[in-house]
Amino acid sequence: MSNHFIPPVVRTVILPRLAQAVMVALLVGVLTFILVRSLPGDMAYRIAAGRYGYDMVDTAAADAVRRELGLEQPALTALGSWLWDILRLDFGNSLISGAPVIKEIVHQFGATVELSLAAVLLSLLIGPPLGVLAGLRPGGWLDRVLLVVSSGLRSLPAFVLGLLLIILLAREFGWFPAAGHGSASNLALPALTLALGLAAVSARVARDAMLGVAQSPYYAFGRTKGLSERQVFARHGMRNVAVPIVTYLGVQFVYLIEGVVVVESLFAWPGIGHALVHAIFARDVPMIQGTALVMGLMFVVLNTGVDLACRWLDPRVARA
Amino acid sequence: MAADLSLPLVAERSFWSTQRIIGVALLAAIVAFAFVTPFVFDGSPTRQSLRNVLGAPTVLEPLGYDHLGRSMLARMSAALRLSLGLAFLSVITAAVPGIALGILAAWKGGWTDRLISLVADAFLALPGLLLVLMFIAIVQDAPWALYVGISLVLWIEYFRLTRSITRALVLSPAVQASQLLGFGPLYIVRRHIWPEIAPLVLTVGAFGAASAIAAIAALSFVSVGVRPPTPELGLMMTELLPYYHEAPHALLQPVVAVFLLILSLNLIAGSNSR
Amino acid sequence: MFGKAASILSVSVGALVIALGVSGPVRAASGAEVFNVVAPFEVKSMEPSTSGDVFLRTGVAETLVDVDENGKPLPALAERWEVSDDGKVWRFFVLPGVVFHDGSNLTAESITHALNVALARSGGLLAKAPIESIAPEGETVVVTLKQPFAPLLAFLAHNTTQILAPASYAADDTVVKVIGTGPFSLGAFEPPLKFSVERFDGYWGEKPAIAKANYLAAGRGETRALLAESGDADYVLNLDPASRVRLEKGDKVDVLSIAIPRTVLLKVNAGHPALKDVATRQALSAAIDREGIATAILRLPDAGATQLFPPSVGTWHNKSIAPLAYDIDKAKALLAEAGWTPGNDGVLERDGTRFAVTLTTYPDRPELPLIAAALQEQLREVGIAATINSTNSSEIPAKHQDGTLELGLVARNFALVPDPIGTILQDYPPQGGDWGALNWSNAEFNAAIDALSRTADASEGQVLRDKAVSILQAELPVIPVAWYQQTAAVSKKVEGARLDPFERSFGLAKVRKAP
Repeated sequence: MSNHFIPPVVRTVILPRLAQAVMVALLVGVLTFILVRSLPGDMAYRIAAGRYGYDMVDTAAADAVRRELGLEQPALTALGSWLWDILRLDFGNSLISGAPVIKEIVHQFGATVELSLAAVLLSLLIGPPLGVLAGLRPGGWLDRVLLVVSSGLRSLPAFVLGLLLIILLAREFGWFPAAGHGSASNLALPALTLALGLAAVSARVARDAMLGVAQSPYYAFGRTKGLSERQVFARHGMRNVAVPIVTYLGVQFVYLIEGVVVVESLFAWPGIGHALVHAIFARDVPMIQGTALVMGLMFVVLNTGVDLACRWLDPRVARA
Repeated sequence: MAADLSLPLVAERSFWSTQRIIGVALLAAIVAFAFVTPFVFDGSPTRQSLRNVLGAPTVLEPLGYDHLGRSMLARMSAALRLSLGLAFLSVITAAVPGIALGILAAWKGGWTDRLISLVADAFLALPGLLLVLMFIAIVQDAPWALYVGISLVLWIEYFRLTRSITRALVLSPAVQASQLLGFGPLYIVRRHIWPEIAPLVLTVGAFGAASAIAAIAALSFVSVGVRPPTPELGLMMTELLPYYHEAPHALLQPVVAVFLLILSLNLIAGSNSR
Repeated sequence: MFGKAASILSVSVGALVIALGVSGPVRAASGAEVFNVVAPFEVKSMEPSTSGDVFLRTGVAETLVDVDENGKPLPALAERWEVSDDGKVWRFFVLPGVVFHDGSNLTAESITHALNVALARSGGLLAKAPIESIAPEGETVVVTLKQPFAPLLAFLAHNTTQILAPASYAADDTVVKVIGTGPFSLGAFEPPLKFSVERFDGYWGEKPAIAKANYLAAGRGETRALLAESGDADYVLNLDPASRVRLEKGDKVDVLSIAIPRTVLLKVNAGHPALKDVATRQALSAAIDREGIATAILRLPDAGATQLFPPSVGTWHNKSIAPLAYDIDKAKALLAEAGWTPGNDGVLERDGTRFAVTLTTYPDRPELPLIAAALQEQLREVGIAATINSTNSSEIPAKHQDGTLELGLVARNFALVPDPIGTILQDYPPQGGDWGALNWSNAEFNAAIDALSRTADASEGQVLRDKAVSILQAELPVIPVAWYQQTAAVSKKVEGARLDPFERSFGLAKVRKAP
């Protein structure tokens, strides 16, 4: 088949990303496998503690877990059977709850995606517009205030920021529920907590990018040509500023995962970060592999989106 | 569009802008606080007095006491010494390979670019939390391991940023002219590429230092990380969180320290803007 | 320029307001009949072995035997019981007229099935009782024992022995539905954090006043306290010490608290070269400032443990023994007597070895690492270098088994089954127990405990208990540090809320909520 039949977008973006997805799946599988097995401590005890809690974990429970799960299986056999199961789209059952991993992931990952999307959208509404305004008037009052505020937001750990929001918006004003999940109003505080942290960074990136663009000759030319501020920005500014912001967005998802763990446990939100941490503590291998795989693939999907957005914003990238 | 893109030459301007002076002064003050306090103030960061738990600041204890009645002044200065050093360590270990690989990938393009990008994406696609948690679980009880684990995740940020900017620059008339004139890659990097990426890298670096500390705070929130009673800023925030109502002054101290640190780094980085 | 700045700003702020406003002040409509419970326990699955506690606490499932506030067995699904003269055969009479949530009748067969599944479960407590067989016989369930076992009734009150309908189990006996007999049936089930229960109209006992309750697991103490204060929760179990003090001072909620048979103790490896002599263990005990820890960390000045059990556990608290007390001079004297001399770095030495030990603990209960930090400093005062290893709770039994545990700081629940003898038998048998003695055994103690597990006579039992407790106090295979109190924050709208010292119930069946 000749390249003529494949649209360039597919050739340069989609196919490499598909290859990456396969790579990621393999890497996640093998790496988590090696890492989990090199972790110190007896797996059977950890699993028993995860299942029965600290009051009920003892040697009898650990021995029973070992017998039940056949933990003495050689590593390579276990890895082989895991890969074979993945090919059949079978993630196995959680060693803790006994439920199919896929079922747990769907519930918990859904909650995380909901929270992350809300947070990213909110942060895009807050961060870049303020950053662009600050970048247009470097040294102006907004620029200075933004510097202090974004430094402040970035230095507040998510749990302190979240706590402040709960105290203010839930306890004092009673606008939103303090924690929990299920109804739309539950989303507000955790999403805002994450969004403020993200916006602190994207505002800085947007500000620096805008500053660079605004001082470029073509931008000045646009002004002298008699275009209004709004027109210059729309024609010459927007796209150039958008590229670093969109690129940065891809990276921000990484922060999100860190932030998500804290926010999830502070707001009693059933997310994948929380699930992953517990799975690692309890050595719930199928759950670790399942969550890591889903997170990895999700990342590939998001970055395909970022790539496509960058191509659209800056056609030079496509030609390169 | 391409015709518009004649990148501005960097105007050589005085290094010492007002903003930068404030930033450097602030940073110097923080460093001085961290390193001079032990000589001036005779207190141990681990000695407890359970009768003084969460005590308010006094003349003898200007920053008050923490939840186990330990001197906040001694703990803050010890924590800053540890966190400053390790945060910079993690920024350097993340930034140097990140920038170098980013320029390399953008410059060479083709298979080099694809290969490096693939490695970077694979790293990024692995949940950072998983990497850090596992790394810490294997190399137990070493604060440096925590920061190195974090830079394993953070380097990709520098890589991607550098790569995307350099890729556009390499195609610019200015760089192509330099190449035609026979200037070597080092010259071009120094003259055309570094000035463009420096402000962004410095900004990201400033936040990276904060990210490292924030990541530690996040990890100690799920009971992983630096082993108590070692004073560390992120750990202190988590430890003092339950007492936010009784002793907000204690909880705010590590937060303010990180805030001043980020602000000073931003002031130093930010004024580099042409 | 400024105008444009303002317009973009107002657009973005506006969008933010809209984004939040959509979900805005429409708080979940919480009618007077819906009751919101918040507690730290996550729901792992439907299995009684892993999550039986929450189903028992919310009144979904019930057990054969209930207990009163003093731990005395009460009839529940068994209306009465008889025990044979040799103490080996127990006959439980099934309460008539009880239906499961699916409408099926409670029978001797269904009870037998549920108990046999519990007996076979790996994490089950019932397997630790010397049970030979459980079989139905007419309207009764007959439990045959290998040897007399007085605490059987307490074991049958444990949450892992809850009685579920036969339809709850799949062919391989995994639980696929929770069909109990309690006043509430299970509604929406969203592990790991949430589920709801609804009033069951066919309940055999007194019908609850509330129609529906939502359960939310919130791991952080700060979150739970704020949920109580903001009015999002009606009943919040387990407050962290700082929040408890704050809520008690405020007037937004009522704070309940009750002493429970859970003790923070230092598990000592009595086979360790540095810790094997009694004098050294007594010195360790004298070096601990229990009142300081209780006041500063637990915020309960009376919570310092002067012996293993608090006064609230009447039968196991021995009033006649000398209390464990903080006496740093005595500690130093005992250590010197045991042959320890200060080394160059201030750490004690004996026969060329430093007195350096690892103190293992776990952060599942947030106060443990804090108490460990305080102990580390107090031990340092007398010249003992302790390194804290805050790790997974399973490291305590794992290190007990391979003998590498030196000191372990644990919070032991002596009401695993409502009678502490159940826990004592597990933790202090001659060969040692995962959460109790390590390399320690005492013939007199063993004899007393063995006799205690067989006797049903109250006064004879009291003599044996006093003896066992005084031996533990003298030899210190574990060093008690502090006693616990369970706490709850309850909305002012709620009437009839109470705390259960045996942590078996939220008391949902008895509460009322004003509109």
